[in-house]
Amino acid sequence: MAYAIKKPGRTVADQSYVVEAVKGLGVTFKRFFQNTIGPAENRKTATIRYPEETREYPERFRGVHRLTHRVDGSPRCVACLCCSTACPAQCIYIEPAEYEADDPRHGYERYPRVFVIDELRCIFCGFCVEACPCDAIRMDTGTHVPASWKREHFIFDKETLMSIPGKDGTYVTANPRHEPGDPTHPGLDRDKAH
Amino acid sequence: MPTFKLDGQEIPFEPGDTIIRAAWKKGVEIPHYCWHPGLSIAANCRMCLVEIKSARPMALPILAWDEKKKDYVETTKNKLQPACQMEVTEGMEVVSKGAAVEKAQASVQEFLLLNHPVDCPICDQAGECKLQDYWLAHQKKLKRKDTEPVHKPKAVRFGPTIVYDAERCIMCTRCIRFCDEVVGDHVLDMRERGNKNEICVSPGRELDHAYTLMTEHVCPVGALTSKDFRFKARVWFLRSAPGVCNGCATGCNTWVDYDPRYQRVYRLRPRDNEEVNKFWMCDAGMMTYKRFHEDRILTGRVRQEGRVVEVPRDVSIEAASKVLEKSQRLAVVFSAQHTNEDNFVLGKLGREHLGGTALYLAALSPESVPGGWKGDAILRHPDPNPNRAGATAVAGGELRSTADLAADIAAGKIDAILSLGWAAGESVEQLANLANVPHVNLSSNIGPLTQVATVVVPVATTAEASGTFVNAKGMAQQFQRAVNAPLGIKSAWETLIEIGKRVGREIAFAKLPEVRAAMPATTSAVAAAS
Repeated sequence: MAYAIKKPGRTVADQSYVVEAVKGLGVTFKRFFQNTIGPAENRKTATIRYPEETREYPERFRGVHRLTHRVDGSPRCVACLCCSTACPAQCIYIEPAEYEADDPRHGYERYPRVFVIDELRCIFCGFCVEACPCDAIRMDTGTHVPASWKREHFIFDKETLMSIPGKDGTYVTANPRHEPGDPTHPGLDRDKAH
Repeated sequence: MPTFKLDGQEIPFEPGDTIIRAAWKKGVEIPHYCWHPGLSIAANCRMCLVEIKSARPMALPILAWDEKKKDYVETTKNKLQPACQMEVTEGMEVVSKGAAVEKAQASVQEFLLLNHPVDCPICDQAGECKLQDYWLAHQKKLKRKDTEPVHKPKAVRFGPTIVYDAERCIMCTRCIRFCDEVVGDHVLDMRERGNKNEICVSPGRELDHAYTLMTEHVCPVGALTSKDFRFKARVWFLRSAPGVCNGCATGCNTWVDYDPRYQRVYRLRPRDNEEVNKFWMCDAGMMTYKRFHEDRILTGRVRQEGRVVEVPRDVSIEAASKVLEKSQRLAVVFSAQHTNEDNFVLGKLGREHLGGTALYLAALSPESVPGGWKGDAILRHPDPNPNRAGATAVAGGELRSTADLAADIAAGKIDAILSLGWAAGESVEQLANLANVPHVNLSSNIGPLTQVATVVVPVATTAEASGTFVNAKGMAQQFQRAVNAPLGIKSAWETLIEIGKRVGREIAFAKLPEVRAAMPATTSAVAAAS
């Protein structure tokens, strides 16, 4: 039900505007000195000095992809193409290849000779991370793709993806796996001669 | 025809058929690993266990939990039978989808996966592996065993073409039986027992007969992988087109597996055809796919003052028409490597429109095949040309060889040549004479004929065009285009019609069925293949 609200009456001070204007200026000057010459922790600003200052992203922010390393520095990726199959934006291109004959992984494993992600096409859905059976591709960097003025800068190749560390600053993952070719793999010591 | 009942469905059979074979003939699949329609029965994988209702059940005494008594009681259960070994009888009732069967299938599947490494990401069989398919269809449960699996040799070299992974092997023995029964070479066998069981090569031997790649194709899992295809592509990206092998006159039916994104052929697989190749193909045949991409001719070539100059396709067609317009005594060289359609239109243009009367056939000889060619009693025909019979038939009679052509040129009987294909049984030196007269050649690859030609016009390979081959038995088999020809290149018959137009001779074929309709009936029959 509608009801009437009683308007507060105007005083002479209100009517003259001078007092209220001075009060307002007081707030303005207080904020001005607080945000410019006052101690930094007292500052109340809506803006930040980007890119020198950055805000913390939420915990669940995905960020740009990276390729994790094995202990020996080789990519953990086995070029199974599960990520590029799962990718709805079709932004991942991989060319698999076999390790060289002198590599302990030769014959067992494959590796990506070419691994390219078109970050302009990527929709950051994280399906590639879900699909990866080797924990080789991760979106735990906490950073976004840096701005650039050239399209080519957004085409991340294998070297670029392997040069991005995770949030913890390392290039590996805390996810151990015994792979053929690793000294820890029990199958390696068996007699292979026929 | 007598019938039996499988899951309520009436299925006809021939006396002597096993349950799985009768069902397979009808297109019903009973899960199996070790059974193969072309090999003997091993009945060792136990995946095809079924319940036979009609016969007196073989009862196995078991202990079952009784809820009321809160104790185990003695009872019996029906023994399941392997469908691959059990012969069908009239009126037999078989259940392949009941609770007992499903439990057996799940248990067999779990047993096979106990020590399997499940390295599907690096396994080349991923996507066409029976372990994956049947796990999803009949088990869908996680492994209950939590100890380290038994490790066995990985990446063992079996021979020049095959790599073996014992951990992935499920001991179905299909590869052993294939070598024994089809090839007749007992090069593979099993050793050890239980979970140490593995396939091994005979001492002092390698897996190096002429059919080694078939062992990879009969392997239901990724234990045997082909060195050529290893780590090259994932099968779920590949599409298949029905093809016919170019390797010899047997004309084995193939699946041409290509990647539509890159328009590239990755492998050839045998396509079942009881009358030609059954389920098999030879190594050399499977490797003919390399010809689709290696040594290709992608631009026109014109010989100017002794040097070969690459020119656009249009320019080479123009140059070809100039040569043909001037010719009076034209030699027409058919090709045993090209399709009936190509040879037929070549005959139309060369003989009917340009008046060529001297007809020859360019065909590979066993010696001219790189690495040599030998026939055998299994599949390989002594003639390494897929379409000698077809080319001869559309030309309307026996053709003379390219060696005869060289002799005729020396005798001055010829003043121009129109030839098809790259293949010839003679070397470039033996054919040097052919370069003495203006010579138009339509070819997809570099070969002796292209090297002695004045003008080479690029044409499509057999993977890039549909066509028909007639094999040594006289069967006309059609195959379909797999990939698109690059750079505006067209099939040979279309290119011949273009050249015909340039010299003012209209050949009224616009589509392939029109060419087929005009060809002799024996060379255009629709193949029995799917």
